[in-house]
Amino acid sequence: MIDEAVLRRALVGAAGEFKVSSEARERILDVAREGAPEVRAARGPTFLRPQGRTRSILVAAALLLVVGAISWPLLRSERGTSPSASAPRTVHGANVSGTGSSGLTASEKAVVGGLPTPTVSPTGAQSAVTLTNTNALTVNASTSTKIESTGNVDLRIGKGQVEVAFAKLTRMVSSDRGFVVSSQERVGTNSAGKFSYGIMVLEVPQRSFDTLVTQVQKAGHPTSVVTSSSDVTSQYVDLRARINAAEASRQQYLTIMSKATSISDILAVQSQLNNLQSQIEQLQGQLNVLNNATTYGTLTVSLTETGQQHNVTKPKSGFAKAWHDGVSGFISGFEWVVRLAGPALFAILALGAAFVIGRYARRAIRRRRI
Amino acid sequence: MEGSTDVDELETWLCECYDQSVRTAYLILGNRLDAEDAVQEAFLRAWRFRDSLARESSIRPWLYRVVVNTCNSKLRQEIPHRDRRGDDDDLVNVTSIDDLAARVEQSQDVVSALKELPLALRVVVVLRYFADLSEREIAIAIGRQPGTVKSRLNEARKRLAASPALRATPQEQSPTGEEATS
Repeated sequence: MIDEAVLRRALVGAAGEFKVSSEARERILDVAREGAPEVRAARGPTFLRPQGRTRSILVAAALLLVVGAISWPLLRSERGTSPSASAPRTVHGANVSGTGSSGLTASEKAVVGGLPTPTVSPTGAQSAVTLTNTNALTVNASTSTKIESTGNVDLRIGKGQVEVAFAKLTRMVSSDRGFVVSSQERVGTNSAGKFSYGIMVLEVPQRSFDTLVTQVQKAGHPTSVVTSSSDVTSQYVDLRARINAAEASRQQYLTIMSKATSISDILAVQSQLNNLQSQIEQLQGQLNVLNNATTYGTLTVSLTETGQQHNVTKPKSGFAKAWHDGVSGFISGFEWVVRLAGPALFAILALGAAFVIGRYARRAIRRRRI
Repeated sequence: MEGSTDVDELETWLCECYDQSVRTAYLILGNRLDAEDAVQEAFLRAWRFRDSLARESSIRPWLYRVVVNTCNSKLRQEIPHRDRRGDDDDLVNVTSIDDLAARVEQSQDVVSALKELPLALRVVVVLRYFADLSEREIAIAIGRQPGTVKSRLNEARKRLAASPALRATPQEQSPTGEEATS
């Protein structure tokens, strides 16, 4: 370490090698006398500006505010659109027998809507029927278990019998106080000639769902029957509770509103009321959807003419099932990753931007300070 | 008149600190004309913002703070973007011609050794061993803690020990200008 005295002498010697101009000193006084008050402006002098730590805190707070303001609505919407926790509770039935194969190049006629009568032109040599069934069970309208059920039934019917089967199914669903949501008939050709294939979607009150499934199986030769149901009571109860709480808050605000005297108070309460109102309407909408889903069950019936095989989904078993489940799981996982990629990418970008800005600010502050 | 009183105050500052400030700025910047520019700007700035300067203690460290900030600003913004002023300007008005060549060389070597130091270390060394500020006053001048000043001084002295120019500084060399030691 260098000796202090040596250093002092060296610096004094180096700095003393020139004369300081007295003219420069006079120049400063002249400038001061002329008076230039322009610098006393909004911007403070550098030696009085906020110190680095204060500025860093302010920058960080501002960044957090911006990121929070952007990501909060995203998170909320993400939460709002997340799928319900209900899972299929029961699955039963799996009989498959498929023979033959045919390409379905086809003309398609579809009737979609409430209570349509199936329009069928059976020109094919064979026909196949598949049934899909969604059934909603509302055990007790207001308080008891809310169950949503779905089902698929595949039927094989005789050649040229698609129209007849459609008519039979329509009668069945009408007798159970249900209705036909949609019906489709496809006409295709293969080496054996033309064939027909039809799909019908039926909705029945949940109490008649099981009856309908049984009846439908009598309309042809069932090759596959799959039904499932899920308990959505907890969702229902949760929604009701949230609506009740919001209603109670709304009532309280209305009381406060009636006692408010100043404009600012009224505006504040009004703002809260508006928020609550939209919240209640949103929740009520969700409740209505849930009610509809649990009041009616949907049954999808697929019809295939005998001897014809369309792309009936064979219930898998053994290695095939494992393979199928594996592929499905992989796809689900990939979808999950893609779904998360958006918010994750945003978060990464926001953090990256914050990091770059912070680093730049830190460097600028460091450069400014000695 | 208040205006004249204020200018008197500036005049007082100039009498007390101008020469020392110019030489300090010279050691920091390594160029006499830049040093004069920086000090002029610093004094005018300090005078214009004189109401904001802390008055509870001596004005000297605060003035040095403005000078140091101005030097820093010049080193960051101005000096890197223009051609370096000729070194000839630095020693136009040498105070004597005795051993001129040797002393000029010695002086240049010391300034070069200082320039090798990072600015943060250079400033504390100059303020401590040339401007003769205490560690506390240096802390005020650079807006840091006295402990930081102390560690920087140690680090600077370690680095300067390796400089041949400073090792060769003759013991008998004395300051040439009276202002330099005032």
